[in-house]
Amino acid sequence: MAIHHIQPGHGRIVVHNDGYSNHFSELSSSYPLKLLSAGTPPRNVSMVYALTYGGGLASGDHTETVIEVHDGARLAMFSQGSTKVSKARPGHPRRSAPAKSNPEPAGTASQKLAVHVASGGAFFLLADPVTCFRDARYHRTQVVHLARDSSVVLLDWMTSGRKASSEEWEFTSYQSRVDVYVDGRRIAEENMLVEGPYSFCTAQEAAKGFHVSGGALRSRCERTKPYSCYATVILYGELVHETLRRLSVARHNASSPRLSWSMSSICEGRGCIVKIGAEETEDVRVWLRQALSELEGVLGVDVYRQAFR
Amino acid sequence: MDSDHEAYILLLLSDSNLPTGSFVASAGLESYVTHGFFTDLAPTAGQVTAPPPDKMVYTVNFLRDSLSSYARSALPFVLDAHVVVEDALKKPQAAPEDWLDSTLRRLVELDELYEATTLNHVARRASRNQGVALLTLFSKGFSEPQLPLHLHRPGPLAPQPEASAAKLADRLKLLVRREETHGHLPICWGVLTAALQLSSGADDSYPLFDAFSSYTQPERSQYLHLFLQARSLLSSSVRLNTIGPYAAQQLLLHAVRPVVDFEMWRCKRLTTASVTSQHSSPKTQDEDALLGPAMTWPLGEILAARHDLQHSRIFNS
Repeated sequence: MAIHHIQPGHGRIVVHNDGYSNHFSELSSSYPLKLLSAGTPPRNVSMVYALTYGGGLASGDHTETVIEVHDGARLAMFSQGSTKVSKARPGHPRRSAPAKSNPEPAGTASQKLAVHVASGGAFFLLADPVTCFRDARYHRTQVVHLARDSSVVLLDWMTSGRKASSEEWEFTSYQSRVDVYVDGRRIAEENMLVEGPYSFCTAQEAAKGFHVSGGALRSRCERTKPYSCYATVILYGELVHETLRRLSVARHNASSPRLSWSMSSICEGRGCIVKIGAEETEDVRVWLRQALSELEGVLGVDVYRQAFR
Repeated sequence: MDSDHEAYILLLLSDSNLPTGSFVASAGLESYVTHGFFTDLAPTAGQVTAPPPDKMVYTVNFLRDSLSSYARSALPFVLDAHVVVEDALKKPQAAPEDWLDSTLRRLVELDELYEATTLNHVARRASRNQGVALLTLFSKGFSEPQLPLHLHRPGPLAPQPEASAAKLADRLKLLVRREETHGHLPICWGVLTAALQLSSGADDSYPLFDAFSSYTQPERSQYLHLFLQARSLLSSSVRLNTIGPYAAQQLLLHAVRPVVDFEMWRCKRLTTASVTSQHSSPKTQDEDALLGPAMTWPLGEILAARHDLQHSRIFNS
């Protein structure tokens, strides 16, 4: 087999199942991205940790991961602690190859994930939240192609910043886009954007807008309070059926003042979108651990424990 | 269509009695209030002496946050739908059926995309209801009535929407009825305003709506859409009794315009091109992803989607 040349920051995971157990036919990555298989999961489950050197993304970092899940295999992906995105420093040397087109403003840290899950397979993205530091720019794109009978859980969450040092909503821009296709048909396209007030008009227009609005723009802090951690979970498929059923009953219970969540079904009830907002990251973690606990049966107790620690 | 007629159409469209079903939609306001977000959430020690913000302030804040997310997620669809229909009506129609089919295909594609990007089921439902109401309004409310001859006023007749535009709207409505497409509000609004040919050119004067004079035709459609969304929010506030009718009028006059102006500046150029053009190169896709529709208010999204869980409610969204 020819060995692909891997660009800096790129990674590739291909998982097969030979009828007895899972095996990686490819698991490669290149600095500053590191993909590690770890743990002793059940035979049809594989675990991968996606790490970046330095424990986060520096200005201009770009990682690009392609994942294929074949033959009814199950793949769970984790990170090691939250993804910390540091201040955008345009002009500084970058440590990874720039995104092919590099359309983002200079200094944007970007991540791309393309996942193909073949019929019967399942993919679980259970990474920790993204925390953007002051003046950081972060842009993530996740595209997931599913077959009708594959399953997926995609957890996508963010925090307001380094709350402990009272650096909240100080980043420049956070954008996270998730596209989910089932048999080539788009069933969900989530594009969440949290940015300062001016990013999409020229300075001149912004000044004019500022003038007409009486000089009082709503800050992100005002718009999102009292919560400082927001999460979106996209669930689809047979393996999450029980979770869906339980959540749709649970949503009638009163939400606590520290945490609110909502659930909307998609794709004729075969999937759903769950959104959570809470005061502390820990509140969301505790909620998720409980809400997704049915996955213990799907992934095995040991694997599930790796998430939401 | 001359500018007098356009001004008259604008008067008609901004009438609060326009049967579009918007009076049953509060765009998440009712749920927001029920969940206690109109009360001081975190009174901190330093602020104890300051009086708590009154309902007017909460209303304006909701209006700004809600409109800003709505503008970012819906205006690209209004623009694209408007332009699709506007372009189609301009073209010489050699093969009318092909022309109709290709225009409809493009609209259905936009509609499908709006369904996929609107992940909140409550908002999706409200948008579908109001969208199809607009199409019905167009076919039933804008065609010429059959009146006895003596009631026809001599003078310039209101120009009829073009037959091809009427046909297009009817076909779209049929697709919605057959459940072959969804009929979302921003798309139907774009179709309606393009079919009515809001404005004939940039060099006309608009004595009635001076604010519009600098806007192009699709931009006027976007502007009016945002204004109506704001007005509908304020009338929901009155029905929820969070503010009184005079306060709502005050806000409509003094607070809404700067908000709508500002959101127009930010969002009028955004299109859905990034997400619809699958064949474009990865480069343009990435670029456009930053300029496509987006959700920008996660808090409002959660609360709006909890609408149906309220014990009692007077709105549908």
